Amino acid sequence: MNLDRDEALRRSERLLRWYPKEWRSRYGEEFAELLIADICEQPRSWRRNADVAQSGLVARLTGIGLSGHALEPSDQARTSLATLGCAMAVFLVFGVAMWAQLTIGWQWSEPDATATSAGMIAMSAAVLVFFALAVVAVVPIGWTALARLARHRGAGLVRPSLLFLGGLTILIVGGRHFGNGWPGTGGHPWAHQGLVPGGVAAFTWASTLSVSSYWAHPGSLLSFPAAEVAWMAISPLAMICLVVGAAKTIRRLDLSARILHFEAALGVLAAFDMLAFLAGCSSWIIYGDAGPQNLFHVGAIDVAGLVLMVLALAVAYRAVHRARVGLNLLAR
Amino acid sequence: MTPVARTKRTGEAGGGRPEQIGELGRYAGPATLILSSLADGPKHGYVLTKDIESFSGVRLAPGTLYEALSRLEGQGLIEAVKSDDRRRPYRLTAAGATVLRSHLAAQRRVADLGLRRLAGSWGPA
Repeated sequence: MNLDRDEALRRSERLLRWYPKEWRSRYGEEFAELLIADICEQPRSWRRNADVAQSGLVARLTGIGLSGHALEPSDQARTSLATLGCAMAVFLVFGVAMWAQLTIGWQWSEPDATATSAGMIAMSAAVLVFFALAVVAVVPIGWTALARLARHRGAGLVRPSLLFLGGLTILIVGGRHFGNGWPGTGGHPWAHQGLVPGGVAAFTWASTLSVSSYWAHPGSLLSFPAAEVAWMAISPLAMICLVVGAAKTIRRLDLSARILHFEAALGVLAAFDMLAFLAGCSSWIIYGDAGPQNLFHVGAIDVAGLVLMVLALAVAYRAVHRARVGLNLLAR
Repeated sequence: MTPVARTKRTGEAGGGRPEQIGELGRYAGPATLILSSLADGPKHGYVLTKDIESFSGVRLAPGTLYEALSRLEGQGLIEAVKSDDRRRPYRLTAAGATVLRSHLAAQRRVADLGLRRLAGSWGPA
């Protein structure tokens, strides 16, 4: 079977999409020429397609600092730390959604099962540590970004910083608005009778409202107030803006080796904290029961969330490892 | 694929210029073939594939070839040659020649030893 060059070109363009933009801008043209020649010689080769897909994915992993491919040491550290931040964000979105569900339940009644109570205590402690680590991590990065912007040397930082601040503002304002409207918290006489203050429980519940099995039940979803459904659609976008803005800021910011070391050390602590949170979460999912009034019921979405958190932890572990590799090379 | 000694996974650790091809980890095989092919002059992707196939019987798939090329270029063992053509040629650097020479010498020692032992136990070929 002989293919004309146009068809081979179309196929090569499709295959090139496996690779990230940066890789395509460096190797795209010459690689396309090789692909066209190969496609003309072997029009139907699943091995070539699989090989290109695999290499493209490796190039993408390299671009986010997760593969063994060498980047420039400082780039490696920054890229891996940004990826660590993204992995932690995914972990926290699902983890906090589960934790908020349990804290809300505890506002009404204590769980019966020791496994659920112990799991909740472990998760709550881990969330507190996450919050402390996040504050400590943001200070040097924020300070460096502000210093660059003040000296008019942060041209590439304006947009990601605005993205981050915009996402954060929407989440805080929206989370508070919808949290305050939740019965049982925010001024209700029963608030503060649970493990964590009712206002905190309601805010985290509202911020992660989009992580819900109601997406799989459109009939039930539409019975929600329209404003809540709109918030469930908008809040993930705000979350994405926040995470992407933070990751881009870190990648574009020329952080000193000292700050990179500091952030990597916090990353190690965060990875251990993720492990502690997972242990608590698993205790509830595996050994806990539904409790009074089905308040601590484990649903399919919780199991799916647990699986996603395990994956996020694996990515975070890899990112921490690669960041430390970059820092070790930087120290040589 | 040419068997290549894997000394340690510093390729995995990333960064810096490898002193041995074995340090390139799973890319050591394609790296040996590419560096050997470039030893007699610059070549672009398609010619590299054909040359490697002719002297080793191995057809490197395009993805594998470019993954190895980008690693070798990143580690300074090869470099791109300026060209007006869309097909950019690559050539061996001095560092690449040193690493290849040392690797092939080590390979030859292993091959000689294996052949001597085979001849001792199983008779000459």
